Amino acid sequence: MMQRKLSVILENKPGALARIVGLFHQRGYNIESLHVDPVKDVENYKDIEELLNITLKENEVSRLIITTTVSDTLLRQILRQINKLIDVLIAQEESK
Amino acid sequence: MKLPGNDILIQSLLNEGVEYIFGYPGGAALHIYDAIFNQNEIEHILVRHEQGATHAADGYARATGKPGVVLVTSGPGATNAITGIATAFMDSIPMVVLSGQVATHLIGTDAFQETDMIGISRPIVKHSFTVESADKISEVIKQAFFIASSGRPGPVVIDIPKDTTAPDKLFDFVLPESTNIRSYNPPIEPEIKQIKRAVDAIIDAEKPVIYAGGGSINSNASEELIELNKILNFPVTNTLMGLGVYPAEDIRFMGMLGMHGTYQSNMAMHNADLIIAIGARFDDRITNTPDLFAPHAKIIHFDVDQSSISKIIEANIAITGQVKNSLKVLIDELNKKTNMIEHSKIKPWLNQIDEWTDQHGLNHELYKENSDTSSILPQAVVQHVYQITNGEAFVTSDVGQHQMFAAQYYHFNKPRRWINSGGLGTMGFGLPAAMGVKFAFPNDEVVCITGEGSIQMCIQELSTCKQYNLPIKIININNEALGMVKQWQDMNYGGRHSESTYQSSLPNFVDLVESYGHKAFKVEKNSDLKSTLEKAFSIKDELVFVDVYVDPEEHVYPMLVAPNGSLKDMWLSKDKKV
Repeated sequence: MMQRKLSVILENKPGALARIVGLFHQRGYNIESLHVDPVKDVENYKDIEELLNITLKENEVSRLIITTTVSDTLLRQILRQINKLIDVLIAQEESK
Repeated sequence: MKLPGNDILIQSLLNEGVEYIFGYPGGAALHIYDAIFNQNEIEHILVRHEQGATHAADGYARATGKPGVVLVTSGPGATNAITGIATAFMDSIPMVVLSGQVATHLIGTDAFQETDMIGISRPIVKHSFTVESADKISEVIKQAFFIASSGRPGPVVIDIPKDTTAPDKLFDFVLPESTNIRSYNPPIEPEIKQIKRAVDAIIDAEKPVIYAGGGSINSNASEELIELNKILNFPVTNTLMGLGVYPAEDIRFMGMLGMHGTYQSNMAMHNADLIIAIGARFDDRITNTPDLFAPHAKIIHFDVDQSSISKIIEANIAITGQVKNSLKVLIDELNKKTNMIEHSKIKPWLNQIDEWTDQHGLNHELYKENSDTSSILPQAVVQHVYQITNGEAFVTSDVGQHQMFAAQYYHFNKPRRWINSGGLGTMGFGLPAAMGVKFAFPNDEVVCITGEGSIQMCIQELSTCKQYNLPIKIININNEALGMVKQWQDMNYGGRHSESTYQSSLPNFVDLVESYGHKAFKVEKNSDLKSTLEKAFSIKDELVFVDVYVDPEEHVYPMLVAPNGSLKDMWLSKDKKV
C-alpha cells in the first residue's frame, strides 16, 4: 500500500465530478485529497491530445488530482473503473 | 422543420426504431404523454407500477437485444423505477429510461414531486443526461441509445425537465444519423498478439473448460462459440446469465456452474488446467472463495469491459474486445493450426467429466418417478414444463429456489430464451419481464416460472396483462415459504426459520387471478400435475396461472459450501457433503 496521485482529465460538464467522487465511495476506495480546475493551459496537454486524437479548447475539460492510498492491483482497478466513466477522457497515475 | 420538444422526443425515439415504451404518466411527463397520444407509430404500454415498466422493458431488451424504453414521471415515478434500473445495470442490459422532472426553474426548490433522479440513479446507470433545452433532445437521445447498446451495455437515464417538452414553443432540430462521443470508445477488435497467446495455451491444454456467461449473449456470440467448439470439442459450462448461449443438448455441455451448478461443472472448473472465460465476470456465486478458485488453471479472459478482467481472478491472457469479434479472430487463428490440435490429449479429461456426471449429475427424469403418494417435487414441475413446451419457450423467472430449479432443469438450446435477474436477484422481475418478452414475440410461448413470494412483489401487472391481452403462462411453484431463505436457514442457521413463512396469510391465488380476468388452476396432487399443465398450455389466447403446491422441504442441490469453500466443496443433499 502506498500513497498515489491520480490525474483525471474529464469533460467540464455538470455532474461529471460527482460521478468520480461517487465511484470512489461506491467501490469502497478512499479519497485523501482532491483538487479540480478547468484546464486553461491546453498547450501543456499535447501528449493527451495526441494520444486520444482530439483537440482541446480552453475550459472545455477539467483536470482532477486525487490522492489515495492503495495497492498496485487496486490502483489498476480504480483507474480502469474511472476510465470507464463516459465523461472521462483519461485517468492515469501521475508520474513522480 | 420546427417542432415542440415533446414531438421532437417522439421523432427522436422513432429515429432509434423504438416500437414500445413501457411507462406510467404523471405531472412532469404530461407534455410527453400528449405527444404520445397524437401519434400511432410507437405503442405505449401502461403498466401498474413503474418497477413493472422497467422489468418489462428489460425483458424486451434481453429477448431482442434492442434497448428497452421506459417513461416515468418525476419524484415517486422515478424512484419506483430504481430497482428495475439496478437490475438492468447488474446484468448489463441496454435500457433507456426517460424520467420526467419538474421545470428547470423549479429544480432545487423542493417542488412537488421533485427528486434528484440523476443523483439517485448515478451508481446504477451506465450514464445519465439532463435535457437542458428542447433543441438538445435529438442529440441526447442518439447518444443515450448509442451508450446503452454499445460496449458493455447498460441502462441510461435521461431526466427531462417539464419546460423542455412544452408544446407551445417550436424548435429547429435535426435527427442525427450517428454520434461520436470523444471520451467514449468501447473496444471492438482484440489484440492479435493476445489471441496468438491464447491459441498456444489452448493447444497445450490437457484439462480445458470453456466458461461462458451473459456477456457472450450480449455480444450475440452464440454462433461463434458453437463454431469454436466444433474445432476444440472442449467441455462447456455456462453461468446463470449465459444459459442458452451454448446448446444444452450438446454432448459437451456440462450444465450451469457455481453456487447451484452441476457437480461435473464445478469439479471440472476446480481441476482444470485451462479456463477460457468468455463474457463472464468471476462473481462470488461462481468462484466461491477466490483464493481457493481453480488452483491449477491458466485463465484466458475474453471481455469487452477491461475493468472486469483480473478484477477478482487474475487473468493470464486478457483479451479485451467485443467477444463476438474476438472469437472470430480466435477461430481464424486456430484454423491455421488445426494440425496441432490433438483431440486425443483431452480424452482422459472428457472421460473424467463423464464419470463425475454419472456419479452425481442431476436426475433429469425425476418427473417419471414422482408417484401419487408423494408430494410434488418442484424440479419435476420444471421438467414437465420443459417437456410440454418442447424446450422452445421463453422462460422468465423470479428469484429463489424456483429460479435455480428452472435454470437446472429447463434446457436452453438458444440464447435470449432464459430471462432472469442474475446479478441483482430481483424478486418481482418475472411477470413484468414476461410481458416485455411477449410484446416482442407474440407468437412464441412465454412462461414465467415463479414462486408465491416473488409473484406477490409485482402481481399488480396481471392487470396490465388483461389490458393488452397477453396470454403468458405463469407457473407458481408454491412451497408456502420463502424457500431459498428457508434453505439457508436450514443449512447455516440451525433450521431457525426467521420470517421466512407466512403462516396462513397466502391469498387464494386462483380467486385472485380470476378476479383480474384470467384463468387459474390449482394443483395439489402428482396425479393432476401433468394433465393440468397440459391443459394450461393448450389455452392459447388467455393468460393461465397454475398454482402448484410443492414439497416445502425440498432444497436446491448441489449447493456450494460457504464460507471458506472452494468450487469442489458442495452439499449434494441435506446430509451429504463432498
